[in-house]
Amino acid sequence: MSGAPVLEASGVTLRYGAVVAVDDVDIAVAPGVLHGVIGPNGAGKSSFMDALSGRRRLSAGTVMLGGEDITRRKVAWRRTHGMARSFQKTSVFNSMSVRTQLEMVARRNREEDLDSIVHAFALEPYLDQPCSAISYGLQRSVDIAMALIGKPHVVLLDEPGAGLSQEESVRMLDHIRALCSERDVAAVLVEHDVDGVFRVCDEVTVLSLGTVLACGKPADVRANPAVIEAYLGSQA
Amino acid sequence: MSSVPTAVSTDDPAVVPDLDDDAGGMLDGRVSVGLERRVVLRGAIVAAVVLVLGLFVPNIITDSYDMGVAADGVVLGIMAIGIGFLAHRSGLISLGHTAFYGGSAYGLAIATTHWGWSPTSAALFAVVGGTLLAVAIGALVIRITGFGFLMLTLAFGQALYAVSTLTSVRSVTGAFDGISVTYAGENTKFLGMTQAQLGAPHTFWPLAWISLVVVAFGLWLVGRSRFGVTLEAIRDNEERARFSGYNTYLPRLGGFAISGACASIAGVLFALKASYVSPDVLGFQLAGDSLIATIVGGFTILVGPAIGAVLYIYAQGKFGDTGNLELYMGLALIVTVIFLPGGVTGWVVEQFRRLRTLVAGRKGASRS
Repeated sequence: MSGAPVLEASGVTLRYGAVVAVDDVDIAVAPGVLHGVIGPNGAGKSSFMDALSGRRRLSAGTVMLGGEDITRRKVAWRRTHGMARSFQKTSVFNSMSVRTQLEMVARRNREEDLDSIVHAFALEPYLDQPCSAISYGLQRSVDIAMALIGKPHVVLLDEPGAGLSQEESVRMLDHIRALCSERDVAAVLVEHDVDGVFRVCDEVTVLSLGTVLACGKPADVRANPAVIEAYLGSQA
Repeated sequence: MSSVPTAVSTDDPAVVPDLDDDAGGMLDGRVSVGLERRVVLRGAIVAAVVLVLGLFVPNIITDSYDMGVAADGVVLGIMAIGIGFLAHRSGLISLGHTAFYGGSAYGLAIATTHWGWSPTSAALFAVVGGTLLAVAIGALVIRITGFGFLMLTLAFGQALYAVSTLTSVRSVTGAFDGISVTYAGENTKFLGMTQAQLGAPHTFWPLAWISLVVVAFGLWLVGRSRFGVTLEAIRDNEERARFSGYNTYLPRLGGFAISGACASIAGVLFALKASYVSPDVLGFQLAGDSLIATIVGGFTILVGPAIGAVLYIYAQGKFGDTGNLELYMGLALIVTVIFLPGGVTGWVVEQFRRLRTLVAGRKGASRS
């Protein structure tokens, strides 16, 4: 733990009609901390990310960024004020070159040192290719690189390993772990790969049917009987 | 993995990179999207050369009728490159640019004939008015994309057409009779040209041609600017653009307004040349013509729609006599959409690229 939480959300609730996708969820993440969110399909992980990032309007609850209430702020405002996200379904600018889109986002978010981000994701050889021409794994790297531009305080990563091979996924998680510490970013990581999350995260929240089943250090959460019963089953 | 930046020095200052693109060094540590002086200069030189060459067209085309066809083509072309700009940069197909074209044509006619303004101030008023109309209509329709956008722009264009033909505004617009443009004030010249000179194709040509080149160069600059890159990003992936910190509404509205300004300029030129404005300038026929010209010419290349417009007006002159104009234009549109997805200019550029790759391949083979 390094200091006060920069991202603090409480009572986050998201309803679609009669369905409650996210029900009264709290989260607090300090700089440099990688906070994993796991849960079975339909647990509300992606909805929770949409709620935190402003993609969906909250039915109830508040989201605070660096002590400021941003619950009603638009996504563009959040991005330029330090909250970035990546997408489960890779979201890049397909017709633009890797260079053009990274430079564009860097200009908007006042990033002085784009080289280090390009270097961290080893994107140098692909800078002049259109994003549609590079592999899915590289597009995923561009997606996450864009989220890290401008030194955001909070980064929300929605299944960065989705669509990658087992090996690529492991490398991606290690990579995120390192970047999170080096850049002192508060990161929330939604991931299917439970073992991966327990391996790299400092804190873990387990969601089930939209509510928090357990939250804490990976070892404690792994040992939690409710988690074992409801989610991890006999594998844990 | 380490985040320690390594000194990558691919951008050797001694080796000037090819001028071929927005050559900017990400790896030399600065952020450089947008216009570079070198690229702008090169574009300006090309524009200046094209501009000067075009001024000699009246020396080549001596026949007054043919010259009129060429001038009409250029005027329609100015509107068409505006429509093409919007289609290319924002992915929006408009059937309502006649609202700005016709609106500004009426603006000029009303300001000169009814208010006694000089043609110069009337022209300025008309272009500004047409552009403001584009901002107003754009503010309402720009959030909608695809088919809805097409239909809404058509609806606005047709609404304006209907207004212009109302009996209650007959004293202003002349309803179906239209209005003849008369210059009554003290200053009856436009940029030193009398109304008769404006009406004669050979003397009108320089005005139309210079306008086309200036508009095209302006759009080229906008397309290459940071604003142009933002528009492209929004077209590509609006959600990601928002999640990258961009307000996506205002840039789209800006692009629409620029496109509407092109149509307004074309409308003013039309009114200056024809000295007569009727509801046809707001009509569905013209909206369709301008869009067909844009698609046949191809809007992936900036000047494609202008070439399409000249071809269109030429074909109109050729086939109009046979009475089968619509049939031929329909066939041309079908052939273009099915076989030449990039339009005529897109096809030409594609062939040129292929040839270049072929030549480069042969060179490579002979070397090894």
